[in-house]
Amino acid sequence: MKGYIKYYGGRIAWYVVTFFCALILNFILPRLMPGNPIATIVSNATAGMTDASAIKQIQEQYIQRFGLDKSYFQQFWLYVGNLLKGDMGTSFSQYPRTVSNIIGSSVLWTLGLQLPAIIVGWCLGNFLGCIAAYIRKGFDKVVMPVFMFISNMPAFGMATILLWLFAIQLKIAPSGGGYGFDMVPNMSWAFIQSVLSHWILPFCSVVLITIGGQAIGMRSMSIYELNADYVKYSRFLGIKDSKIITYVFRNAMLPQVTGLAMSFGTMLSGNIIAEQVFSYPGVGSALLSSVTGRDYPLLSGCTLIITVMVLIANLVIEILYGFIDPRVKANQMES
Amino acid sequence: MGKVMLEVRDLKTKYVTRMKEDVYSVDGVSLTIEEGKSLGVAGESGCGKSTLALSLMGYYFAPLHYMSGDIIVDGQNISGMEPDYIRKHILGSEIAYIPQAAMNALNPTQKIIKFINNVIHVHDPSMSKGDIYDMARERFEKLGLPENVLQKHAVELSGGMKQRTVIAISTILSPKVLIADEPSSALDVTSQKMVIKMMKQLMHEGLVKSMIFITHELPLLYQVTDDIMVMYAGQIVEKGTAHEMVFDPIMPYTKGLMGSIIVPEDGMKANKLEAIPGTPPNLKHPPAGCRFAPRCKYATPECMVYAPPVKKPAPGREYRCLFEEKYLKELYANG
Repeated sequence: MKGYIKYYGGRIAWYVVTFFCALILNFILPRLMPGNPIATIVSNATAGMTDASAIKQIQEQYIQRFGLDKSYFQQFWLYVGNLLKGDMGTSFSQYPRTVSNIIGSSVLWTLGLQLPAIIVGWCLGNFLGCIAAYIRKGFDKVVMPVFMFISNMPAFGMATILLWLFAIQLKIAPSGGGYGFDMVPNMSWAFIQSVLSHWILPFCSVVLITIGGQAIGMRSMSIYELNADYVKYSRFLGIKDSKIITYVFRNAMLPQVTGLAMSFGTMLSGNIIAEQVFSYPGVGSALLSSVTGRDYPLLSGCTLIITVMVLIANLVIEILYGFIDPRVKANQMES
Repeated sequence: MGKVMLEVRDLKTKYVTRMKEDVYSVDGVSLTIEEGKSLGVAGESGCGKSTLALSLMGYYFAPLHYMSGDIIVDGQNISGMEPDYIRKHILGSEIAYIPQAAMNALNPTQKIIKFINNVIHVHDPSMSKGDIYDMARERFEKLGLPENVLQKHAVELSGGMKQRTVIAISTILSPKVLIADEPSSALDVTSQKMVIKMMKQLMHEGLVKSMIFITHELPLLYQVTDDIMVMYAGQIVEKGTAHEMVFDPIMPYTKGLMGSIIVPEDGMKANKLEAIPGTPPNLKHPPAGCRFAPRCKYATPECMVYAPPVKKPAPGREYRCLFEEKYLKELYANG
């Protein structure tokens, strides 16, 4: 147990260091982008004005309000100070909304789309991959090329095909948005139905791509494990194949768990393209609009959330691994 | 004469390669083992020892295929049985197997006791987990293995301990025939000694009724088993009691094998260490005549053409050579 605490103490310290490095990068990188961040606000605020000096004054006012006249160093300390107070700043492009407000309203959409899609895709993919490895023959010959094709298809390709087929040709699903444009978010049955019908296509596009990738990885891991000596030995002791396949499944799944955790980590930035194609109101859309709008606070906010998610996913997986794989546990205890 | 535990009549099996070529790996093997007796199988690498072990269990999976012959375990002919029936009712309980690579024979992510649970559950579903635990603990204690091994994963055990654990698991249902394929080959001398002691104890206490011990180390066989048979190119070339085989070999190949023992037994010290030149033949196209003829220093042109018959100079003794025993002895005496 002592080795355990020491091990995780060291790990967590590293995670903190990583977090600070990422925080600095998240702050600096957006600000290195060329372009005027407050151009949009100023042009909105000065619409119809002709007095050049007044426009200039308004622009300077905004620069001062956002602290853009201060040095990067001062700005950074302001940013960190605000973060500690739980304030991620005010969006430039969607002024006067705050970053927390924007992310808060989009994060649920993304989570609701990605979380079930990743879990369903991961489970199905691993199951199918293991079965394909076990059966080989016909099943494998048909299913694997299909998965190979799907997993190598770019996300926008998959999304576009689904959109074209189901929304435009068959007209059985709406073509975009999070819910019907004529609706107001509430808890009515009609609204939930609308949300579900808008959700199903992007959901399928994520699931299909996840299944393909997971199945291929799982299949090769399973084939390797199926040829392991312990499988042969178990057979010769009379243990049923249905039992042996659970051994194989578990051992082959271990590397796949890492993949699952990583997709949880990158989930929020996850499918920018799918969200874009389906005009889904998720974090991906917010992130993209913050880039085009030179919206430093929103961009830093989005990347900060993603950073934290990736780090947490990594840490959780490391702890989890200790429980599910005795070999890793033995390693952790030793150090 | 004791009860016959295992009788094999003219067993033939083959490997089918990826190129659909047949390799006749076990070619007409017959043997009998009585209750309480052990049989050693010796031979070079690639002569079909391990394949014989796999073939004797009556359960075949690609690339190994059954061709003809009978395997009779305690009066039960298993060679015509359904594979699933054999697996459920014969393997593990009637015939047990100790694999060559015991280091990897245990599932790395499974506790030993869970594996034992699975093994016993297949053959006797009525036993509760508590009963199984008690049974396993008792057997482990009897064989000198600490009880806490049961709660460990395979990765936590040393090589020698793993091997002994595998032996204990294989024999936990007190099988009628134990097939041990090089159980001590990968171990250091100390561990080897413990393994041999354990095998002897199993026989002595009647925990296994009969045993086939496969190894390339002849001195080991002389110490452990009652009878020895020597295999060459998928066939038995000579069979006899351990003493006869070591001190009075008839067939030139056996003579050569005994000549290549590094630590001679008493009475063999005068012999010079000799190696047999060449390598075993390719079994895709076995030689027409005597299979050993191309490497035999006493071979005549007839040996290359005529397949030698099996000769039985005394009960339980047999050899495969064109020449008579007396003539061969004269050849040996003259060097």
